[in-house]
Amino acid sequence: MERRVVITAASAITPIGHGKESIVDSLLHGKSGVISLREDDLLSGYIDCKVYGTIDYPIDFDFARKYRKTMGPVSYYACQAVKEVIESSGLEQDFLSSGKVGVAFGSTHGSPTVQREIYKNFFSRSEAKFAAIGAVDYLKSMVHTTAVNITKMFEITGRVISSSTACTTSSQSIGFGYESVKFGMQDAMICGGADEYDTTTVAVFDNLLACSTDFNETPHLTPRPFDTRRDGLVVGEGAGAVLVEEYEHARKRGAPILAEIIGFSCCNNGGDLILPSKDGITRTIKLGLENAKIHPDQVDFISAHATATKMGDVIEAQSIGNVYGDKPHVTGLKGYTGHTMGSCGVIETIMTLYMMEKGFIAPTLNLQEVDERCSMIGHTKTLMESDIRIASVQNFAFGGVNTSLFFKKHA
Amino acid sequence: MTRQEIETKILHILEEEFEIENPGMDDDLREKHEFDSIDALELLGDIEDMLGSTLTREEKKQAMDIRTINQICDYVALMVEKKSL
Repeated sequence: MERRVVITAASAITPIGHGKESIVDSLLHGKSGVISLREDDLLSGYIDCKVYGTIDYPIDFDFARKYRKTMGPVSYYACQAVKEVIESSGLEQDFLSSGKVGVAFGSTHGSPTVQREIYKNFFSRSEAKFAAIGAVDYLKSMVHTTAVNITKMFEITGRVISSSTACTTSSQSIGFGYESVKFGMQDAMICGGADEYDTTTVAVFDNLLACSTDFNETPHLTPRPFDTRRDGLVVGEGAGAVLVEEYEHARKRGAPILAEIIGFSCCNNGGDLILPSKDGITRTIKLGLENAKIHPDQVDFISAHATATKMGDVIEAQSIGNVYGDKPHVTGLKGYTGHTMGSCGVIETIMTLYMMEKGFIAPTLNLQEVDERCSMIGHTKTLMESDIRIASVQNFAFGGVNTSLFFKKHA
Repeated sequence: MTRQEIETKILHILEEEFEIENPGMDDDLREKHEFDSIDALELLGDIEDMLGSTLTREEKKQAMDIRTINQICDYVALMVEKKSL
């Protein structure tokens, strides 16, 4: 059994805004969400990169204590995005708790803020403090904390998938949610990902010399996907959620259809865990096109992973060029938000859906002079009106994990 | 620590930290206020702070059947007495 699958609600909390209106406004006006790295008492003093894609506006989390007590910051983001999706979806509680709705949601590594407190206790050499590490700390920090806090808050009883594959976490969530509905295992899936403010992640990439450091005094000018002056990625925070629903179910209840998901692919490079692979990315794109049953010429827009690392952008551009040539418009949306890690796939998907709905394509922010090694593809250098009929969102992660998602505008 | 002091402290913790509104001394906390095993473990941490000493595993297990605020206060009073011996 293969069923059509659509997205019927979406919400995102990002460095460039919370909700459709503010995110679209930022995309239309070239607003960056990258600001100076906050000082902390652990790592910030040792990190060369001093910028971060930051959520620097207040969010009114109105969660009862019975929900808050098992949530770290990452779950606050996740549950807020899902709450907005459920509210806008119009789905009844009976359906949410019917077993026909599941959750596919993840984060890079649970809640590092809570983990940091746990390790402080571990190394405190105080027996009293050691004994204080309990079930609640684990529930707040575990890798699947976002998924299960969502199931608890919204009494969702279907399947739970909690990907934790760094930068492909939430693109996998959407893809695996899509497959769950497509093959009849669930009628709907709430899919997405979240990651909270975390300097540990910055330190990891900084030590690998993969972080941007040349624009510490002018944070809004970095990252610079595909640009000759790009000097690395900028870590960010964020969350996003989409409601993935079986088409007939959505149609019968009169739900607004934001897009149809027509294809998904996921594969591994089968080799190095860090270096990007042209073969791996090319294979992912081709598998996705095959799964979507479309020809490369049919794709109007590509949201590139484009982290603005020296090598990653070149490999990705060459892979896109090999498969698509220079016809589709390509944007690296991380120019706006930085790299929101586990949430980047769903956030970039939601931005793509917004552009599809509003009829425009945002340019790659900070792309001033295209690196000639990336010049074989159709870069979006200025804001343009465009009717995106089919879009692809591609993401790649440490560990050699690659994904591509394909979305079709609903007629 | 007198029984009244224990009662005042426990009520303060339950109202402020656990956000339980107008708790009755004999309310079934689980049934009426959704106080679950996670809350019980958190409260035991607060009780340890009150006592100024840690509870043993057996003492903690002993607390897991408690349902009402009166029973919590009885338990704390017992622990105060035990620790002062």
